[in-house]
Amino acid sequence: MASLVKRSVAELVGTMLLVYFGCGAAVITLTTAARESGPLQSLTIGSLGGLADWLAIGLAFGIVIAAVIYGLGRVSGAHINPAVTIALFASKRFPVTDTVVYIVAQLVGGLLGSIFFYLSAGMDAVTIGGLGATAPAGGITFGMAVLAEVIGTFVLMMVIMGVAVDEKAPPGFAGLIIGLTVAGIITTIGGLTGSSLNPARSFGPAVGDLLLGGPDVMGAFPIYIIGPILGALIAVFFYDWVVKED
Amino acid sequence: MKCYVCAKEGRDTDAVAVCIVCGMGLCMDHAIREETDVWEGGYPFPAKKVKQSLPRILCPECSLAMKGDG
Repeated sequence: MASLVKRSVAELVGTMLLVYFGCGAAVITLTTAARESGPLQSLTIGSLGGLADWLAIGLAFGIVIAAVIYGLGRVSGAHINPAVTIALFASKRFPVTDTVVYIVAQLVGGLLGSIFFYLSAGMDAVTIGGLGATAPAGGITFGMAVLAEVIGTFVLMMVIMGVAVDEKAPPGFAGLIIGLTVAGIITTIGGLTGSSLNPARSFGPAVGDLLLGGPDVMGAFPIYIIGPILGALIAVFFYDWVVKED
Repeated sequence: MKCYVCAKEGRDTDAVAVCIVCGMGLCMDHAIREETDVWEGGYPFPAKKVKQSLPRILCPECSLAMKGDG
C-alpha cells in the first residue's frame, strides 16, 4: 500500500481536480450567461439553458469524478469527499488516523482547486461566478436544503457501497456509475441547493470567495457539512442492514 | 510428458512443468518461474500488495516474448 503521505497527496490532487473542473463548470455557466445577457441581469444557473445548465455542470462533475476514481482509486481509494471518508470510518472500514489526514487533504485540495481556477479564469470567476460556491436557491430554507443534501448524498453513498465496497460488486464499473450518479443528482438537486454532496467541494469555493473578495456564503456552509455527512452515514448503515442475510 | 525443448535438441527428459502460455512440457532446466505480485483492495480503499506472490511457469520462448522488444 502507498504511504499515508502519498495517499493524502492523491486525495488532495483528486479533490483539487473535482473543484477545478466541477465548480469551474458552474463558474463558466454564470460568466457565459453574464456575457450574453449583460452584467446587470440577475444571474442564476439555468439562465442559459434551464435544466440543461445543471445537466452540463453535473456531467462536468461526473466525468472528473470518474477520471479521478480510475486514475487514483488504487492509490488512496479516491474518496475526494469527507462525507465518504467519515462514513467508511463510522462503519469500521477505514482507520481513524487515515480518516483525519484524508479530510485535511480533501479540504486543502478543495481550496487549491478554487484558487487555481481563479488563477486560470481571472476575477470574473470570483465576482460573477462566486468560484462555484454552493448556496440554497431562493425560497429554499435551511431545513429544506439539508434534507435535499441528505437525500442526494444518501444516493451517492448507497451506490458507492453497491458498486465498490460490496465484495459482490462487478469490478471495473465503479468510476463510470458513480460519475453518472453524481451527474444525475446534480441535475435534479442543483437548482435547490447547488447539490454539493461533499463538504470539501463547498469548502474550497466558500473560503476562496472569502479570501478573494467574492460573495460571502459561509452562512450556508453548515448545510453542506450536516447534509452530506448525515446522508452518507445513513446510507452506509442502511446498506449494511439491507444486504445482511437474515 | 517429455520436455519439448530437450526433445528438439535430441534429448529425452521428463517434463516437470507446463508453460502457462503455450502448454509445452518443460524440464527443470527449461522451466522459467516468474513471480507475479497480487494486489487486493482498490476503490474506495487503497490497493494493498499481499505478501504471497503468484508463481507463473513459462518456457524460454514465451518468457522472452512476454518481455517484449524493450
